[in-house]
Amino acid sequence: MFTLIKNSKGLLGMNARNLSYIRPNNLQGAIRLANNKLKSKEALFKAGIPVPKVFGIIRNRHELEVFKWGDLPKSFVLKPNHGRGGGGIKVIFGQNKDLSWVSTEGKKVTIKDLRDHIMDIFEGFYSFSGTSDIAFFEERIKLLKVFKPYSYKGIPDIRVIVYNKVPVMAMLRLPTRESEGKANLHLGGIGLGVDVATGVTTNAVMHDQLIEKTPDTKFKLSGVKIPYWKDILEIAIKCQEISKLGYVGVDIAIDSERGPVVLEVNAHAGLSIQIANLSPLKYRLKKINGLKVKNEAHGIRIAQDLFGGEVEEEIEDISGKQVLGIIETIKIGIMNHELGIKNKEGGELIEKKEIELKAKIDTGADRSSIDEELARKLGYEKVIDEFKGVVKDLEIGNNATKEILDEKIKDKLEKWGDDFDTVVIKSSHGVSYRLLIKMNIELSGIKLISKMSVTDRSHLEFPVIIGRRSLGRFLVDPSKKTKAVFGK
Amino acid sequence: MSNIIQLIASQGVSIETIYLILALPFIATLIAAFRQLIGIKSFGIYTPLVLTFAFWAIGIKYGLAIFIVIFLTGTAVRYILKNFRLLYMPRMAIVLTVISLAILVLLALGGYFQKTGLASTSILPILILITLIEKFISTQVEKGFRTAAFLSVETLAISIAGYYFIIWDVFRDLVLSHPEYILLLFVVNIFLGKWTGIRLSEYLRFRKVIKNVDK
Repeated sequence: MFTLIKNSKGLLGMNARNLSYIRPNNLQGAIRLANNKLKSKEALFKAGIPVPKVFGIIRNRHELEVFKWGDLPKSFVLKPNHGRGGGGIKVIFGQNKDLSWVSTEGKKVTIKDLRDHIMDIFEGFYSFSGTSDIAFFEERIKLLKVFKPYSYKGIPDIRVIVYNKVPVMAMLRLPTRESEGKANLHLGGIGLGVDVATGVTTNAVMHDQLIEKTPDTKFKLSGVKIPYWKDILEIAIKCQEISKLGYVGVDIAIDSERGPVVLEVNAHAGLSIQIANLSPLKYRLKKINGLKVKNEAHGIRIAQDLFGGEVEEEIEDISGKQVLGIIETIKIGIMNHELGIKNKEGGELIEKKEIELKAKIDTGADRSSIDEELARKLGYEKVIDEFKGVVKDLEIGNNATKEILDEKIKDKLEKWGDDFDTVVIKSSHGVSYRLLIKMNIELSGIKLISKMSVTDRSHLEFPVIIGRRSLGRFLVDPSKKTKAVFGK
Repeated sequence: MSNIIQLIASQGVSIETIYLILALPFIATLIAAFRQLIGIKSFGIYTPLVLTFAFWAIGIKYGLAIFIVIFLTGTAVRYILKNFRLLYMPRMAIVLTVISLAILVLLALGGYFQKTGLASTSILPILILITLIEKFISTQVEKGFRTAAFLSVETLAISIAGYYFIIWDVFRDLVLSHPEYILLLFVVNIFLGKWTGIRLSEYLRFRKVIKNVDK
């Protein structure tokens, strides 16, 4: 209970959002501008921000009567000016030969349908306060190829929360069959957490539940790189400045020809973004509070430094290599030995195929090595005992080489087979002759076969060190923290 | 009973009237607390408040029965009318017409089955229940059936809680003997109005986020 409260301290709840962030930062005038789609679009356009083109505005019944329907393009979006939460938006996909249109739901849409819908908009059906509203036609954003597999009919958009000129958190929203081509989460769209630093997607939620793949097309949702990421962040920050909203959710879509285009700015940005990112928002907002942010580039840098959780993946993308920290959790396979594996009480432990433990990544060591006691537990007890038995009688001088020593225990080596070898290690402590065992290990999700030299490490913190010979497929970043701590 | 109450009662105001007027701010505060602390959403403060007092006037059993009839009829009519493409006001008028007829049938049935309780209830609360349907239906259109259904259930739950509150003898005695406690509601509501903590429902909604904080 206590940890629950402690861990939720950084969470942004509805109460805190309204009272601590919207009330003091979003003044009435700015909120009114944001809620008026046409006015805010105009303000953004004047400031040089790309916005969807407006094909026509219908303010009243008279304008509806005289509207030239023939001037409308093949595809467009019909929107209420004061709509909220995606309500009342009609997306037209294409045109039939008889000049009627097709909606994203695949239904036939006639002029009469559009007229009825506009009348509903006039009635204030979709507006914030239920007061009468006006309707407008807008350019339909053309779907980017990258997003094609992920979106059902509609256009995905990117929600960026900007506070004090810093893009604090971001989310990619995908339309689904259920959301009828709209990207709004409460209508059944998918929300994907986005790493602010790189623009790569992390987790995905639908109806507040974590999901792995798109429900319609079954594509994996994490790891998608959003193009134009820096531009998107920069546009989002500019939108905050233009809209004069201190705490704002900027919705940006990417047009296949025009690039990032701002759909709208929201004064009351929702809280689901926290679920999509599996990260609490208030914690981030508090870090930003009171910072002097000079310009967009500065804001982006702050966001990347503070909230970019997976920057190393960027390096991984470039080099194709995984980045390791100094301490990593590894898995070591347990040998399927005829003796079975005895645990401390002497019972058999055969049901377990591998063990997990923390190992030190040591670029100063050539080979990996493992503690003798641990190796015994892993099922190598018999061989270790036999090895110690024969080596005890050997004389290991300073000039000893592997060849000479191996020759002396030839019989045993042949008996043990390919999984076992020996190594002569020369160090400041002198020369030692050690047993080398081929073990199956898993490091950062990659399976390797590593030859481990067996030695007594009982006085050291880590029973295993991973040396250079096993690290060919990795990069080591000393500043990286261990991600998961096992046994917790 | 407190002196002030006695004074007012002596002027011919019925105790029932005084009680309900004094109970209203308590129920309003209860609804506010449900929203801010627990996170139970409702259609504003008006709908659950009116629903609570309608239940009180009709009785919870018949009140719920009538509510359910209204809700189901309203939803059904909305779905039927969907294909007719009518404008909002006339459409809603039709919904109300059908509901009125349904209520009439319900009252007649009640009489037929000797359920006199139903027929003897005052009509005003029933009329209010009927008109509340607009809120429920317009939310269905605006936010989709799923959200509207959730909101309706939550509104209903708050109203039922409010109903049991006002019929609770302990509460009644307290309000009538210490009407000055109403002043405490200012304190409570100022606290609620300044409360920036996490709502109970948000612990549930964001449980995965909270869990992830550990790592």
